[in-house]
Amino acid sequence: MNRTLSVTALLLAAGLGGVAAAQTSTYRGPKVTLTYLHGFTGADRPVMERLIAQFNAAHPNIEVRAQAQPWGTTWQQLPSLVASGRAPDIVVINEDQITNFIARGAVSPLSDAELRAAGIQKSRFYGPLFKTADYEGKSYGVPISSVAYVMFYNKDLMKKAGVTKVPTTRAELLAAARTCTTDRAGRKPGQAGFDPKNLDTWGISLYNNWVGARMAYAAILQNGGSLVDKNLNASFNSPQAVEAVQFLVDLVQKHNVARPNSTEEAELAAFSQGKVCFFPSGQWYLDRFESQKLNFGVAFVPRIGSKQDAAWGGSSHMTLPRQRAGYDPNKRQAALTFINWMTSPAQNLTWTETGSLPVMPAVAQNKAFESRPIAGVFEKLDNIYATSGFPWGGQVLGPFDNAWANAYSGKMSVKAALDAGVNEANKQIAQARKTFQ
Amino acid sequence: MSLSVPGQEGTRPPLTRRRRRGKREGHPLSPYLYLLPFMALFAVFVVYPVGYGLWVSLHRWDLLAETRPFVGLEYYRNLFDPETPQSQFFWNSMKNTGFFTLVSVPLLIGTALGLALLLHRPIFGRALFRSVFFLPGILTVSVMGILWRWMFDNQIGLVNAVRSDLFGLPPVPFLSSEGLAWVPVIVGTVWWTIGFNMTLYLAALGNISPSYYEAADIDGATSWAKFRFITWPLLGPVTLFVFVTTVLASFQLFGQTLVITGGGPNRTTQSVMQYITEEAFANNQFSSASAMAFLFGLAMLVFTYLQFRIMARDARGGEEG
Repeated sequence: MNRTLSVTALLLAAGLGGVAAAQTSTYRGPKVTLTYLHGFTGADRPVMERLIAQFNAAHPNIEVRAQAQPWGTTWQQLPSLVASGRAPDIVVINEDQITNFIARGAVSPLSDAELRAAGIQKSRFYGPLFKTADYEGKSYGVPISSVAYVMFYNKDLMKKAGVTKVPTTRAELLAAARTCTTDRAGRKPGQAGFDPKNLDTWGISLYNNWVGARMAYAAILQNGGSLVDKNLNASFNSPQAVEAVQFLVDLVQKHNVARPNSTEEAELAAFSQGKVCFFPSGQWYLDRFESQKLNFGVAFVPRIGSKQDAAWGGSSHMTLPRQRAGYDPNKRQAALTFINWMTSPAQNLTWTETGSLPVMPAVAQNKAFESRPIAGVFEKLDNIYATSGFPWGGQVLGPFDNAWANAYSGKMSVKAALDAGVNEANKQIAQARKTFQ
Repeated sequence: MSLSVPGQEGTRPPLTRRRRRGKREGHPLSPYLYLLPFMALFAVFVVYPVGYGLWVSLHRWDLLAETRPFVGLEYYRNLFDPETPQSQFFWNSMKNTGFFTLVSVPLLIGTALGLALLLHRPIFGRALFRSVFFLPGILTVSVMGILWRWMFDNQIGLVNAVRSDLFGLPPVPFLSSEGLAWVPVIVGTVWWTIGFNMTLYLAALGNISPSYYEAADIDGATSWAKFRFITWPLLGPVTLFVFVTTVLASFQLFGQTLVITGGGPNRTTQSVMQYITEEAFANNQFSSASAMAFLFGLAMLVFTYLQFRIMARDARGGEEG
């Protein structure tokens, strides 16, 4: 009895010691009120509000007042808020906007010392995810939410066709896709009389919009290519890029294992109807397929290129906007404490309820995910890359998406389409550069 | 009696005018005070933004930039320099918008008039049909756009389903074929906005006295002659109004192409408004976008001026007749 009590006391003391140690790195100044602007306005809003309430209850000297508004509104308002010195203390910015706001000076860099003092270790996050908010060697944001481009596969159709293994390489993907493809008369590609214009089932979904273009993005990165070069000029017409995109276009034009001229809506419907084995797209369709009781799985995008694993990812990052001179340093410290708390394993685990991927390995290892289809991509979450790092997102991605549409539809050769895209992007970048001087 | 009235009219007006002026001599500012509420709003929401926009278009402007150097007409010159993407895409979007206007306006007037003529007759279910044709107009552009995008989907759209299932024809990729991509945009727009013009025509048809048609019947006029010499001339003012408003609405094409085709394929359905939005909010080139907006606004102003000239001439013609 006495023994157990003392053990309990010991454990308690150890626990308290842990808490005390954690508190040494958090904010201990006078009470401050922080304003927090984010765009989680959907089903993720109640989860965010619950977390903020928890934080406020646990931190008597910090009160976070959150405001949720659509992302697009924030992108339009943030410049004028910063310019007039009325920016919120913390703003969540997405991967497609962040480098632009950094380069325009809307957000302030987070120094290593500051991050350390607040207990934020860069190493606890997935590397490329954290680097999404880096620019010119400095860090500007901490990841809170993440989505990725994945490959859904239809288990029933694969079984019917006789595909036993989810493809992970170029050769496996092509072989599996050919096995999945039949025309309306039941003939396979390569058989006499095969009619590619009347496919009954087919191997893989390719389609013409920006989401479809993210498959080409993955293939280019996997092949060692990139969207922009070291000088941040568009470079998605490199030989590696052309080779990678050519493979995807060949799936349609040469191997006839994907439909030509298709749209995301059409492929989505076909996947739900069990007509296509592999549907690469955003993980956000997970809920939809689960509610349709589809027998499906989720895998990382197969490695089409020869250099590395890669897939596109989108993410949200907590940032500290530039403030007017004389801004209360206590607020900045408190804000970093809030960011640390929000991006800690326990809170990130709660946040994955919204459909976000874990932002750190510690959460991905949680047993709660073991039976979930999305866990199929967890091994490679360290290979997800956002389209960030250059301040001219619109100037690069617009022409890139258009180049994919032209190559996929066969209107232009892959080389010509990518060349035209790079040419247009670089003309626009040259103009955008003048704004940043 | 009847003679004395003109006499009175001849003498009284100067009297009343003098009296009125005398009454208000102490308050020369009062008309302006009455105008003040409107002028304040007009100044804040129209004059100031237009002036500021002009300033923006003459500077290299970014809200967050520390310097906003004056660049004169650089952004306007870009629109006339064939080497810049701006000139290429701006004039391309002008051409697209012009094409849309040219095709959709006659359709929107012709079909609206045709429907109004049919529904003006005392046919069974007339009220129902009138509502049916008017109802699409209450949808938002996103609902209407998604509807027509699905109808004309390259693979699973209703149009392609009918083609393949009933006629065994291969699917036509409407949304990604240059030229054909206009079909869902124009058909959708006609379906969406026809009800308004039709209602205007129905009201105008109701104002034509039946006695004209009775007289024409006695003279043995054919229905074509009745339309050509009675209905059409008497609908003139309404047709002009419908024409002017439809042209202006067509030039402001934005939502339909944004939702249905996204401006593609290869910007062949991108409207001016859409390109200006892209330049401002995707490319963050606000000065360049402002310059385009001013050039486009100028073009619209010239166009509206011409239309007013025609309208004024027509109104004078009506008085003389």
